Amino acid sequence: MGKKRIIQELTNLLAKSLRHKIGGIVNKNEIYSQKYAKDAEILLKEAQKISLRENWNSRDKIEIKRELEKKLMKELEEKTFLDESKFNLASSEIIEVLRILELG
Amino acid sequence: METLKFVHRISKGTRFNQIYIPHEMKEIFEVGDSVEVRLIEKRNTFYSSKKLELGEFKKKLSIEILNFLSQLNDVEQAFIVGSFLNSSDYGDVDILIISEKNLEGKVYSLLTERFGMKFHIIAIPKKRLEFLIKSCPLTRSMLYFFISNKKFELPKETVVDKGHIEFLLMMPKDLLEIKLASRVFYDNLRRLIAIGWFLENKEINPLEINKEIKREVKEGVFSSLKNNEELDEKAIEKLRGIIKAKIRKIEVLWERNELFKN
Repeated sequence: MGKKRIIQELTNLLAKSLRHKIGGIVNKNEIYSQKYAKDAEILLKEAQKISLRENWNSRDKIEIKRELEKKLMKELEEKTFLDESKFNLASSEIIEVLRILELG
Repeated sequence: METLKFVHRISKGTRFNQIYIPHEMKEIFEVGDSVEVRLIEKRNTFYSSKKLELGEFKKKLSIEILNFLSQLNDVEQAFIVGSFLNSSDYGDVDILIISEKNLEGKVYSLLTERFGMKFHIIAIPKKRLEFLIKSCPLTRSMLYFFISNKKFELPKETVVDKGHIEFLLMMPKDLLEIKLASRVFYDNLRRLIAIGWFLENKEINPLEINKEIKREVKEGVFSSLKNNEELDEKAIEKLRGIIKAKIRKIEVLWERNELFKN
């Protein structure tokens, strides 16, 4: 699989993972998902596996960030049942997840 | 002075709990005498869901765990839930704690140290749990079987919170596009069945959920799902078909629910 496709796959998973995480934070009653099902973590672990397949240079990292920002915005816009405060969390969560994956 | 003693249970009084002097000893233990009260054995009180059948070993261990948790400050109520109660291949013991404080880390360390087992702790403030047991299909399913140190009953009354249901549906919908471990497919099939039964106002018995999955997939696939074994593309596509159908059924139930409300 080419690097471009891997970036697409990686950012798809990360955008979904962050959408779950942010949803759990802004929807106050999502204790079950935060503490039990941990959907965001499952998706992040999968993304982590993909991220480890490649050596990423600084240009790749910039592209990953740009793609992730675009996809996460789309994910959050589509999920109208999530509280509007979701948009305020997007950029800090992107920075955090890229730091965890050493892609920041 | 010769040691005169009797063994009695503490009984509940209107203002204070009390210990009665046995009739045959009323001449020995008189008003104004000094006595010493010593705890010999803690009462093993526990409450469990009606349909729970627990073997002796698990019952004894559960009571020990609950007694241990009862002694901790800030633990309002403790429950043992999950596969430990009704399966022989449980990975850990799921503990649900009602507490206003975030005790998960502390309780985990104390339990692991005391019992040398794997635990999974969830701590929830009382008000949150009261809302979740009415509105969350997964929480209702989790508490279908329980053992607790205090009385508990799942309320019959439910509240349909559309935002919450949509939140729970996010992962099953994601699975239509992405491939994850087979256990995630299994957990999300369980989730979809629980949501469907919740909207139909049915009981959400986790053992019945498993039977429902078994009815829908082949025996080999069921075992792979449960054991998180790799599935081929054909099996994954079949599972996606089942997930899609279940999501559609939930949407239909939802629409009916809305119509009923209006």
